[in-house]
Amino acid sequence: MKNLRQNPLALSGLLIIITVLFVAIFASWLSPYDPNYIDIQSILLPPSHSHFMGTDGLGRDVFSRMLYGSRISLLVGFVAVGIATLIGTFLGAIAGFYRGYIDSIIMRFVDIMLSIPTFFLILAVIAFLTPSIWNIMIVIGFTSWMGVTRLVRAEFLSLRNREFILAAEAMGASDFRLIYKHLLPNSLTPIIVSSVLGIASAVLTESGLSFLGLGVQAPQSSWGNILTDGKEYIQFAWWLSLFPGLAILITVLGYNLLGEGLRDLLDPKNKNLKK
Amino acid sequence: MLNYLIKRLLWMIPMLIGISLISFFIMHLAPGDITASESSFNPKASEESRQKLRALYNLDKPLMTQYSLWLKRIVKLDFGNSFASHQRPVLWETKDAKGNITRGMIQDALPVTLMINLIGLLIIFALSIFLGVVSAVNQNRWPDRLITIIVFVGFAIPGFWLALLLMYWTGVSHSWLPISGLHSAGFEKMSHIAQYADLLKHLILPVSISSLGGLASISLYVRNGMLDILQQDFITTARAKGLPENKVIYGHALRNTLLPLITIIGLSIPGLIGGSVIGESIFAISGMGKLFFDAVLMRDFPVVMGILTIGSVLTLFGNLIADIGYAWADPRIRRGISN
Repeated sequence: MKNLRQNPLALSGLLIIITVLFVAIFASWLSPYDPNYIDIQSILLPPSHSHFMGTDGLGRDVFSRMLYGSRISLLVGFVAVGIATLIGTFLGAIAGFYRGYIDSIIMRFVDIMLSIPTFFLILAVIAFLTPSIWNIMIVIGFTSWMGVTRLVRAEFLSLRNREFILAAEAMGASDFRLIYKHLLPNSLTPIIVSSVLGIASAVLTESGLSFLGLGVQAPQSSWGNILTDGKEYIQFAWWLSLFPGLAILITVLGYNLLGEGLRDLLDPKNKNLKK
Repeated sequence: MLNYLIKRLLWMIPMLIGISLISFFIMHLAPGDITASESSFNPKASEESRQKLRALYNLDKPLMTQYSLWLKRIVKLDFGNSFASHQRPVLWETKDAKGNITRGMIQDALPVTLMINLIGLLIIFALSIFLGVVSAVNQNRWPDRLITIIVFVGFAIPGFWLALLLMYWTGVSHSWLPISGLHSAGFEKMSHIAQYADLLKHLILPVSISSLGGLASISLYVRNGMLDILQQDFITTARAKGLPENKVIYGHALRNTLLPLITIIGLSIPGLIGGSVIGESIFAISGMGKLFFDAVLMRDFPVVMGILTIGSVLTLFGNLIADIGYAWADPRIRRGISN
C-alpha cells in the first residue's frame, strides 16, 4: 500500500474503481427515481435540476439508470474474469507442471482458441443461447482464459526446476501441494495484473454486446443498452449518448491504470531498474 | 527455410480441424434449431416442410454424422447456401443451368472488410511508430506524458460510442461526412475520380474507428520497445563512435524495435476481424462483421459457420505470413530455423 501511494496512476485507477464500487452498492439509496419508472409526461428532457442527466425516450431518469447500470458492469467484469482466471490458471498450471504431451495438448488448444476471432465466437454463442447477463458473463469468461494460461505456464516452467521447488519435492510434497503451496503463490503477480486488465476488456465487451441488443435486456439497464437508446435519439438527445459512454470510458480507464500501475509495482525487475 | 515452411503448413491441418470442431459444436449445443426460427418467419410452415428442411441440412442425423458431412463439403470449399429466403451461396458465386450467376455472400463482404482493415493497418503503422518514437525519445517529458494519456484513453474508449459521437458531430450537425454505407446515391453515374473521392469520404469515419485500438496498443509497444533497446550496449557503442543521434535512433534502435512488430500485426488479425462487427453495424457497411451479425440474428447456420471458418483460416494465414516475414527480416531467426 505504501508503494501504491507513490504511483499516482495506479492510485487514481484505484480511486475510480472504489467510486464505481460505492455507486454500485448504494445505487438504490443514491438514485433519485425508480430506474424503470416510465413517465410519459417527461420524455427526452435535457439535463436539469430535477433530472441530472435528463430523461430517455420513455421518460425514465437517465441518472438513476446509470447508477443501476454500474452494477452490471461491475458484476460482468468480476464474474467473467473470475471464470477466465480459474480456467486459465488451472490449465496453465497443469501444462507448466507436467510438461510433455499434456503441455502440448493444452497449448495447441490455446492456439486454436486464439485463432478464432473472439468477438465472432462470443456473438455466435450469445445469439444461440438466450441473451441474459449470466450468459454474457459465462461466455466472456470461457473465451478469454487463453492469455492467463500462457502466463501461468511460462511462470511455472521457469520456476519448476528452481532449488526451493526441488527441495520441496525431495521432502515428499505431493503434486497438489507443490502447485498450490509453492508454485502458485510465486506466480501470483502476472495473474493479478492480467486479471485487472481483463476486467477492463470484459466491461468493454459487455457494453458492446448490450449496445448490439445481445446483452443485458430491457427493462434492466446497463451502460451499453442506454447507449442503444442514445443511437435512436442522437439527433434530439445528446445526453443519452454522452453520459453512458463517459462512464464506460472512465471505468475502463480505472482498471487499465490500476493494472499497469500494479505491473510496475509488483514486477521485481522494475524495482532493480529503479535502484 | 523450405522445411520450416512445409512444417508450418502441415501444422495448419490439425489447427483447422480443431477450429471446425469447436465452431461446429458451439452452434449445435445451443438450444433451439433453425426449423423453429424458420417457422416463426413463416407461420404457415407445416410440420412436413420443417421435416424437409431438417433432412436437407442433415439436422435429423446424429451430430458426428452432421459434422463429417459438413467437413466433407468444406474441404471442397462448398459452404452451402444461406437459409435466408434469397438462398445465396455462402462463399463463392455459382452458375445455374440458365447461366445466371449468383454471387457469394462472403465473396461480396470480405473485400470490404479487408479494405477497411488494410487501410487501417497502414494508418496504425505510420502513426503509432511516430507516436512511439516521439514518446520514447522524450521519456518523462511533456510529449511523452501527453502521448501516454492519449494511449490510455484510446485503450479505454468504447469504439462504438466514439463512432456515435463522430457520426453526430461530423455527419448530422455539420453534414461534413456521410454517415452510412460506402457509396452515395448515383455512384454508378460518377466519373472514376469522383467515385474514388466518394468512397474515400465514406471510409474516413469507419477506418478511424477501426484503427483506434490498434493505434493505442502499438504506440505503447513501440515506446516500450524503444526504451528497452536504447539502454543496450550496441546503442552506447553507436553513440560512442560518434554517430549522429538521428542515425542511432532511426537506423539502429527503431529497426530493432520494428522486427517483433511483424508478429504483433499477425496476432492482431482476429481482433480486427471480430472488431468489424460493431463498426460495420453502426455505419451500415456490408462487410464480414455486419454479414455475421445479421446471420447470427437469423440463425443462418451455413453463413455463421462459413464466416467463423473463413475468419479463422484468414487468422491462421495471417500468422503464417507474419512468421515468414519475421524470419525473412531477421537473420538471427532465419539461422535458428535452418539449424
